[in-house]
Amino acid sequence: MSIKSGIRKVRSAMVALTTSALIALPALAGTAMAGELVINTDSSFPAVKKAFQSAVTGFEQENPDIKVTWNVFDNEAYKSAIRNFLSAESPDLATWFAGNRMLPYVNAGLFAPIDDVWAENGLDKTLKAAESAVTFNGTKWAVPYTYYQWGVYYRKDLFAKFGIDVPTTWEEFKAAGAKLQENGVTPVAIGTKFPWTAAGWFDYLNLRTNGYDFHMAVTRGEIPWTDERIRKTMGHWEELLKAGFFLENHAAYSWQEALPALVNGDAGMYLMGNFIVAPLQEAGLTEDQLGFFQFPAIDPAIAMAEDAPANTLHLAAGARNVAEAKKFLAYIARADVQTRMNEIMGQLPVNAKSSVSDDPYLQAGFKMLSNVDGGLAQFFDRDASAAMAKAGMEGFQEFMVKPERLDKVLARLETVRQRQTQ
Amino acid sequence: MFPTPIDKTSSATRVAYKVALPVALLLWLLPLLAVALTSVRSSADITSGNYWGWPTSFNLVENYTAIFTNSPLAAYLLNSFKVTIPAVLGAIALSSLTGFALGIYKFRSNLFVFFLFVAGNFIPFQILMVPVRDLSIQLGVYNSIYALILFHIAFQTGFCTLFMRNFIRTLPFDLIEAARIEGVSDLRIFWYVVLPLMRPALAALSVLVFTFVWNDYFWATVLTQGAHAQPITAGIKSLNGEWIAAWHLVSAGSVVAALPPVLMFFLMQKHFIAGLTLGAVK
Repeated sequence: MSIKSGIRKVRSAMVALTTSALIALPALAGTAMAGELVINTDSSFPAVKKAFQSAVTGFEQENPDIKVTWNVFDNEAYKSAIRNFLSAESPDLATWFAGNRMLPYVNAGLFAPIDDVWAENGLDKTLKAAESAVTFNGTKWAVPYTYYQWGVYYRKDLFAKFGIDVPTTWEEFKAAGAKLQENGVTPVAIGTKFPWTAAGWFDYLNLRTNGYDFHMAVTRGEIPWTDERIRKTMGHWEELLKAGFFLENHAAYSWQEALPALVNGDAGMYLMGNFIVAPLQEAGLTEDQLGFFQFPAIDPAIAMAEDAPANTLHLAAGARNVAEAKKFLAYIARADVQTRMNEIMGQLPVNAKSSVSDDPYLQAGFKMLSNVDGGLAQFFDRDASAAMAKAGMEGFQEFMVKPERLDKVLARLETVRQRQTQ
Repeated sequence: MFPTPIDKTSSATRVAYKVALPVALLLWLLPLLAVALTSVRSSADITSGNYWGWPTSFNLVENYTAIFTNSPLAAYLLNSFKVTIPAVLGAIALSSLTGFALGIYKFRSNLFVFFLFVAGNFIPFQILMVPVRDLSIQLGVYNSIYALILFHIAFQTGFCTLFMRNFIRTLPFDLIEAARIEGVSDLRIFWYVVLPLMRPALAALSVLVFTFVWNDYFWATVLTQGAHAQPITAGIKSLNGEWIAAWHLVSAGSVVAALPPVLMFFLMQKHFIAGLTLGAVK
């Protein structure tokens, strides 16, 4: 560390020298600017790393005068490292997540606004899908470069065998589940040992019962948890719990440990993000067996909104190479770049003009998300603050195991919310 | 003779023994077998819930290649050696000196100092977490292998001193007195008389401390982050994906991580067993 800070000092001294030289010789400033760009990413996973590699290489080819320094962090370590490096030795660009998850850094003045990048490149049209997720107080704070859909993954073959159609309404959904139960199949697989999976159900039930704006107000902590409308959401959840919709002993399984139920045909559906497809295909489920459908409507008057967590690239407030960084932001927002990156990652490009790989699940997700009127949520643990998300997810898990404790759970969540808003 | 040798007991006892032994052995080794078996499975087996059955395909080569090509496991493995070897050398070197001092010199606070070393062993090391982390930050070694080396030397020296001091006590004191009468300096007595006699203790202790330090997970996660400094015990989790825990790879990684101490044990087995009974009988 001491060596590092030494280097840091030398480096900042050098920067100071160059800047003073530039001030002294303004005429030369234009030509003397050797382009440099420092990007920190949390992409230690092979596919994500490869995708960023292709983006960085492509950028350097297009801009031979800019030298890119690209630091790859371990995904978990990045979450604590970002606080350090943004305030100590700032890179120019850093990856992070959309939604309320970025607010602490926005509020602390560690991310810089990039409205000009959005305006100059017409991103409000091309990146419309995730625009609301990177906007705060009317200002744009990031460029989203990838996202993925959530929805219900189901056993197509079992549905066909029992004569069940893909449900589009709440009644149809409950009927489909009842039909599966008649045939000895648990309607829904879920593992809530790590309780974020239960939050997926809350997100969807609340989005479908009360709509996007209300759901976002809840996650921002503006609505009391004891509100009647939240009770209505929980009431829908309780219907399913009472009917025995969910896998027994779900609190003993992680989300992966609940997968065998779907693979072996003991369960018919799984509400999950698109990353569920890879392990299921590896386990032998074909496209004829595994299908995808949008979470059914509950209140037809409410516009459909979806969970679609986006990953984003941010301009650091302490960036030294702002012009180069903005160039890279515009570059990574481009349709062709997002097509290539997401092809490698197996995810969805945010740019509406990008093309999506032939994968049927990505195609289905792309189609669904392109027609969303309600808005895109980022998932409960990204939309809510860290403390609220933790308490919320634990509460949902408890509710799923002991529905009769609903009042207690909601009262506890309300205490956490009030502590936060004070 | 106690205990009575099995072949001299009643036939019923002998049968029960012969049945119970393999069963107990299997039960005892079950977790290890599970890890070994999982390390050659495909991820398909794990997703379809085939945890204990016969693997549908044997992916020995794939899995063990994947852990080195898809993740910085080699770097973690190297870190483990970089931490463990200096820590073992440091702890052994220091403790043979302290053991010599406490075993040979007669001074008033001898027993008190000795108890200080022993008492260190009784502190649950978890309570040291926050102070040691702060200390390592202030020393500027946080998040580097030096943090781990320094801590392990400091912590292991307590136990090693106990071991060394007791071993040196069993050496015939006449040897040291004879050398003193000849006018040999204490440092030379340590080097030429005591150290050669301590060889079995040194070997036994090295193996023991090697496995202690190598298997440490707690300090590896408290004092270091990332592939540049973390040893393999902490690095195994990097084999998991962003959403998907790759248990087959984690198992393969665990087997690799367990190999060095196991090898070390078998290579030094003779010394190790000798070391356990050292000083037990006079």
